[in-house]
Amino acid sequence: MNRTLRLLGVAAFLVAVFVVVPLLISVTGRKDVYYTLTSVALLSIASAGVWLTFYIGRINMGQGAFALMGAYVTAVLVNHYGVAFWWTLPAAGLFCAVASLLIGLPILRLRGVYFAMVSLVLTEVTRLLALALPVTEGAKGITNIPLPGAISLFGLTIVPDFATLENPRIAFYYLAATLMVLCFAGMYRLVHSRIGHICMSLQQNEELASSIGVNIVHLRLIAFAISSFLGGISGATFAAVTQSVYPSSFTVTDSVNFMLNCFLGGLGYVFGPMLGTLTLYFGWNLLFQTGEFQLLIYSSLMIILMLVLPNGLLSLGEGRRKG
Amino acid sequence: MDTILQVRELTRRFGGLTAVNNVSFDVREREILSVIGPNGAGKSTLFKLIASFLKPTSGEVLYRGERISGLAPHIAARKGVVRTFQETTIFRNMTVRENVIVAHHLRSRASLLGFFVGTGTAREDERAFGASADEILDFLNLTELANEKARNLPHGHLRALGIAIGLATDPAVLLLDEPFAGMNHDETHKAVAMVRRLRERGLTVLLVEHDMPAVMKISDRIVVINFGQKIAEGTPVDIQNNDRVIEAYLGAEDEAIGL
Amino acid sequence: MEQVIANGLYLGAQYALIALGLTLIFGLMNVLNFAHGQMYVLGGFITYAIYGQLGLPFPVAVVASGISLAVIGGLMERYLFRTVIRRSHREESTMLLAAATAFFFDAVILLIFGEKQRGVPKIVKGVFNDFGVIMPYDRIVVAVLAALMILGFILFMKYSRTGRAMRALAQDRVAAQLMGIKVDRYTMIGFALGAMLAGVVGGLLVSITGVNSGIGGPISVKAFLMIMIGGAGVVGGAIAGGFILGMMESVGLTVLREYGDVTYLVIFAALMIFLAIRPNGLMGKPWG
Repeated sequence: MNRTLRLLGVAAFLVAVFVVVPLLISVTGRKDVYYTLTSVALLSIASAGVWLTFYIGRINMGQGAFALMGAYVTAVLVNHYGVAFWWTLPAAGLFCAVASLLIGLPILRLRGVYFAMVSLVLTEVTRLLALALPVTEGAKGITNIPLPGAISLFGLTIVPDFATLENPRIAFYYLAATLMVLCFAGMYRLVHSRIGHICMSLQQNEELASSIGVNIVHLRLIAFAISSFLGGISGATFAAVTQSVYPSSFTVTDSVNFMLNCFLGGLGYVFGPMLGTLTLYFGWNLLFQTGEFQLLIYSSLMIILMLVLPNGLLSLGEGRRKG
Repeated sequence: MDTILQVRELTRRFGGLTAVNNVSFDVREREILSVIGPNGAGKSTLFKLIASFLKPTSGEVLYRGERISGLAPHIAARKGVVRTFQETTIFRNMTVRENVIVAHHLRSRASLLGFFVGTGTAREDERAFGASADEILDFLNLTELANEKARNLPHGHLRALGIAIGLATDPAVLLLDEPFAGMNHDETHKAVAMVRRLRERGLTVLLVEHDMPAVMKISDRIVVINFGQKIAEGTPVDIQNNDRVIEAYLGAEDEAIGL
Repeated sequence: MEQVIANGLYLGAQYALIALGLTLIFGLMNVLNFAHGQMYVLGGFITYAIYGQLGLPFPVAVVASGISLAVIGGLMERYLFRTVIRRSHREESTMLLAAATAFFFDAVILLIFGEKQRGVPKIVKGVFNDFGVIMPYDRIVVAVLAALMILGFILFMKYSRTGRAMRALAQDRVAAQLMGIKVDRYTMIGFALGAMLAGVVGGLLVSITGVNSGIGGPISVKAFLMIMIGGAGVVGGAIAGGFILGMMESVGLTVLREYGDVTYLVIFAALMIFLAIRPNGLMGKPWG
């Protein structure tokens, strides 16, 4: 019963994302929404990574750094070495995962605000590095990144060359949505398997976790690497969508926003980061019409939300179930 | 009886202070051995050293002839030496049963990836952990509270949960950190019986404790330390009649009341 | 050389004062106040309005900045942070609240004062030029005032009843409560005091560097750096961190002048390595 309900939910979600949304857009003619939704999907992937580090008890404000790294890996590989985008996507993820292992080894020992601050500084260091290194081409960034090419298997074209499409934005939407679905399916499985419980044990008490034989250093690194992998994937796809990357493509503000997405959706819920990203991104865009009051209304709403629902939007469902 | 744990010339300094000074003793298989001493004698430092939560300045701890001191806590646990904590160290936001299930970590045969994919071994593991957790909860009379959030447990049960978590790791030696602290007469009585039953399960129990009467009742042997040094070792009767022990405790009491 | 040290001391004194407010709030409630830089900016604009626009004396303006921020800080603690801390499952939720209040202040400041850089007339004219050091008198005045306030703050925390209560609170909340300290009250006072310090520094510095609505975030980040170097929640650490960052900037900007932003790259990278080796800063206690 519960299982069927869950399957129905998943099916409804997939239909909504892949059928209903495109239909609605073609009916209303609001093609620009594709870009917004693509952004939401990609940002929610990066946020999911941040959420996972929250899940092991670390406040991660370094995701901007990994998104930026991922974007540059793709940009450099595609533009300087002529590698196909589809190869650079996993390469960007893996690059970020390896980088996060090297960085994580010393800094994951830090807890609480210390980790939060160092990861925030990491975002800034990455931006400054992108400005200073020759391969990233300084402040002018890397532009004119070609659109992703076709993928063929045994002579059968599975994904068409984006450049030949009438509107590549639709293709990017499907790409981002697919990545998002894969990412959250993986996260859901992770959290609801035994690994999730072990991660949770880490979040709640590292000393006790190690006393029951959990290699906490190891597990922290794995979680951080997965998180950074997602950040890299997200950044790399963004670079392909916007066909450019600059040192300012992902900054401290983005790192903070990823964190806010997680908080807003709820730290205790796997789908929290998705809902949080959707709400914050759309909320911000909707408030655009209020002009100079945009930030004021946005921040006031955020404060009110925090006071009313300090455990995230998804805690609303839980409260009802209990009451 | 075979020796299971050897503490050899263990020393730990913090800056200028020597908290544990050249302490040696053996723990035999399936015995209940207590370490006692006045406040500040270095008991809890010794405890952490044995559980590998602290690295010794010099000396070593051997488990079945293999050195475990100076390694990470999870490695000592993997070998079979597991500690419990005082009271509040539990996974607060999990249920009692989840606490015990997650603590079966060392018994998993499936890898993390296996659990992610959900292989046959992983599913078998999960079933086995559930069954074992239920057995442990029953053993410690926690079955009724199994689905309660750990943070809502009353004090006495918290300690039982701590021991349940320890048992889930399937240890050979269980180190108990002041298992009777803050208990009244009745509770202590029950706890003493419980520790005896731990031994019946085949465990070796090493406990650090304050409560003299309980220690006298329960221990096969007792090690007394004062100012970081071992001053006596023997059966409860030996210890009760040992002049140095009496002196140490009286001295400490004098200090405590300000003489 | 002398010039570098003098610049470092001048920067260090103001930084230390900013860091003190932040570390006080952190020590008392484990809240990392993202809005600290915005409070500084608000203090700057209040002094700008009173001294620069209305023409009242500078000290009056600075005091007004301090008082306004103290009131704002007190209200924030009472009606925002206290509620969220009580109702949230996770301590980190206060970070979202703090970030939201930072945005809120940014918005308010932008609406009221606009985005222009604002300056005020110099408080003291002339330039000190001796012993190989060139420094405008107003900077010296501000540095000395900041140093005096740091001293005052230390004495206050050490000897006053309120200060002692707050120190007890920072050390062990539960024990303090058992000792009969009114925890809620002193937490609120502490937050107000921390906010006041930010406001006062903002007011003092508007006379030298001016103020604009965009600098809140960067100031917060710098303040975070300082308390991490020294160790979060420790008064001595904040002061040490402030002076160390001041010196590093002063040296860095002189040595690495041609390379621009590389100064901060070096400082940040050094900080990351330092924290990897000393996770709790120079004097901090573990957290979390």
